[in-house]
Amino acid sequence: MNHEREIMPTIRIDAMGEPCPQPVVKTTRALQDMREGDVLEVHVDNETAVENLLRLADNRNIPARSKKVAERHYLVAMQCTVPHEKEEETETAPAAGRGDLVVAVTGRTMGTGSDELGEMLLKGFFFALTQLEPLPKVILLYNGGAFMSAEGSPVLDDLKQLEARGVDILTCGTCLEFFALKDKLAVGSVTNMYSIVTTLAEAMTVISP
Amino acid sequence: MREKTLCTIVTFLTPTDAMAFECFAGQHDLPGRLIPVPSAVSAGCGICWCAPHEEAGALGALKAANTLAIEAIYTLLI
Repeated sequence: MNHEREIMPTIRIDAMGEPCPQPVVKTTRALQDMREGDVLEVHVDNETAVENLLRLADNRNIPARSKKVAERHYLVAMQCTVPHEKEEETETAPAAGRGDLVVAVTGRTMGTGSDELGEMLLKGFFFALTQLEPLPKVILLYNGGAFMSAEGSPVLDDLKQLEARGVDILTCGTCLEFFALKDKLAVGSVTNMYSIVTTLAEAMTVISP
Repeated sequence: MREKTLCTIVTFLTPTDAMAFECFAGQHDLPGRLIPVPSAVSAGCGICWCAPHEEAGALGALKAANTLAIEAIYTLLI
């Protein structure tokens, strides 16, 4: 007997052509009105949006899957279980020390004054991060920070090591696109402003070099 | 737990010297990288060159040549 429940669409969101983070925003709003067992279909036109939606689902413990329907047409289906399960956990969870540390890297340099010095300091910063115990939970990379996770980055090895040790490396998709780095992401995954704000808001501590 | 490895640490008197060494290393394919000076080493400008321990001989020769403002060389588990 097949116990896998057939997923039938009950709510459909057409986010084709919508810029980041609109697909996630629309999906988040729709999820608020969903009941257990309801299915949400979101149609988007780029892989970044798919990744962002799958991440949203994962953050909320919602089973989700995606498929490419056609060129520039992707479908993400989510089946609502118990809503906002992880959020409730977060609210009641005891303080976990530095395990909830989030590092936000916003540029290619550390500090201002000399770019040359700042680049060197940032390299040292990432090395020092690899030595930190416990490690950060998430490293957010946005604006010029997006260069850090792209091919040719001087700290790529550090980021790969951190990812291998369980740190989430999240790079702003808009920033990757702006700097034409979308195809050069070499570590971690793509995120959006909605997720960045949520990560920052839920962090116990945020440091920014 | 992260596994520590034996490294050769080169310290400099100024950050400018450290950056100049990084440039030199890049031009001559010297393995290693700039890192903050480990707390076990109190000397130096704050930034040092960290290389695999196998490079100790080559780095020692560079210090002896006295052209790259190397302050000191250490061996450390990092």
